[in-house]
Amino acid sequence: MDIEKIRKDFPILSRIVRDRPLVYLDNAATTQKPSAVIEAISGLYRNYNANVHRGVYLLAEEATQAYEDSREAVRRFINAGSTEEVVFTRNATEALNLVAYTWADANIRAGDEIIVTIMEHHSNYVPWFRLARRKGAVIKIVPSRKDGELDMDAFGSMLSDRTKLVGIAHMSNVFGTINPVREMVSLAHTRGAAVVVDGAQSAPHMKIDVRGMDCDFFALSGHKMLGPAGIGVLYAKSSYLKSMEPFMSGGEMILRVTLEDVVYNDLPWKFEAGTPNYEGAIGLKAAIEYLEALGMDTVEAYERELTEHALRSMKTVPDIFLYGPSDPAKKGGIIAFNIKGVHSHDIGTILDSEGIAIRAGHHCAQPLMIDCGVSAMARASFYFYNTEQEIDMLVKALKKAKEMFGHVA
Amino acid sequence: MSLEELFKEIIIEHYQHPKNHGHIEHPDARSEGSNPLCGDEIQMELLFEGDRIKDVMFTGNGCSISQSAASLMTEAIKGRTVAEARRLMEEYKNMLQGNDYDAGMLGDLEALSDVKKFPARVKCASLSMAVLDQALQQKK
Ligand SMILES: Cc1ncc(COP(=O)(O)O)c(C=O)c1O
Repeated sequence: MDIEKIRKDFPILSRIVRDRPLVYLDNAATTQKPSAVIEAISGLYRNYNANVHRGVYLLAEEATQAYEDSREAVRRFINAGSTEEVVFTRNATEALNLVAYTWADANIRAGDEIIVTIMEHHSNYVPWFRLARRKGAVIKIVPSRKDGELDMDAFGSMLSDRTKLVGIAHMSNVFGTINPVREMVSLAHTRGAAVVVDGAQSAPHMKIDVRGMDCDFFALSGHKMLGPAGIGVLYAKSSYLKSMEPFMSGGEMILRVTLEDVVYNDLPWKFEAGTPNYEGAIGLKAAIEYLEALGMDTVEAYERELTEHALRSMKTVPDIFLYGPSDPAKKGGIIAFNIKGVHSHDIGTILDSEGIAIRAGHHCAQPLMIDCGVSAMARASFYFYNTEQEIDMLVKALKKAKEMFGHVA
Repeated sequence: MSLEELFKEIIIEHYQHPKNHGHIEHPDARSEGSNPLCGDEIQMELLFEGDRIKDVMFTGNGCSISQSAASLMTEAIKGRTVAEARRLMEEYKNMLQGNDYDAGMLGDLEALSDVKKFPARVKCASLSMAVLDQALQQKK
């Protein structure tokens, strides 16, 4: 990987902030965009903008084609069997809510059990929490072990014939842990439970194979994988989609409407009411093509090297505590940490003054914060355009932060 | 914008060794608040004597700005009348919003004046004011 060449593809990476070159280490929150994505979006508006699936004129044909080409790009990227199974949403959150308000709403009853992990982002917890409240269902939580991996024994003993749904973060947005989804799916399926995989953090960083994984639902967000904000994807097995009621309704999702009756559109459009974010889909396609040109295996291998370097060098900061697996083979490029005596919010400000962007706070994973006995953590998260030098700058700035607050606990 | 403006010695001192930290046995008012995004938390307890704030204590956890502000705020209002405390909070708010303010009235709290140059941190400095405001409303 020619990192210097890659960095030139991202205009924002040459920005100066606070009189220093930007060091962007908040990629788990959102990623920066290559020129190819920016140009794909402006190309639409300069050359062929029209509403999709409506007009009979050339522009509308081109825009519709581009929108549907993006669906095919997503299908290929996650190895789905058919574009019927690829529904565009606003983001991963909307994709997960779609499942909660359609399939789960129709199939979960009082006394049924929903299993999710302690590592879930709020967007793969709150929809199930609310569903459970509505239905009188029970939520069970798979705990994590001391090493930041899921307690698979606990998961195994939690599963029962009452289990109807299992929700799993493929990659934790705090610990970075890559969870054994394939194994969890096959265990859940022996009990007849459906499995929802939250791929918001995994899809940007590793090869995804939804058929190999055999999950029933998979959610991702475009903005975390070089694409624009406002476009996400729900993959669902067509056997599920066929039986599901629509989520939103209105235009686009219908075939025929009379005053007496409404006939829904075919898959996947039945789940895409209203003018979709075709601009976002077109940007996402450019993002996917960029990632495919690099190769997801290459991306993953490079990020693993970065993570290894970061784990090793961050440990040299006095009084630092790193959360999540210490084995770089078990995790993606996400490192959450705290430094004794320096609150993560103060770390964030001190790093910002050096041009380094990281995240501080609860990371939309408050149950996990509570489990770790803290209210906040700092988090550095990498993408393939980051370098070891940037990580060295991070480590230097962390040492400075520790110094500013003295060595008092 | 320099870090030394934000993290003044007195702020770090109050963060590491907060004043009025703990509980009052039988408080007349008690309130709490948090900044959900950063996880800062403050609880305050007040004891009144007539119109005066006879005692005030706080507990909490969070960043240096939120916790030192609570420490400095409790120092500033202890022994004052409720009306004085309200005027002080008004001046403090003016300071954080970048308006003119009465420095004499604020005393050590003025150490937080440069927080306004760090917009992301203003809500950390404001938290204890909001919590105090709630507690004062409980005064009969
Ligand atoms: C693991 C995980 N799931 C879901 C989400 C939600 O993504 P979005 O806000 O794009 O819907 C995030 C984003 O932070 C995440 O990290």
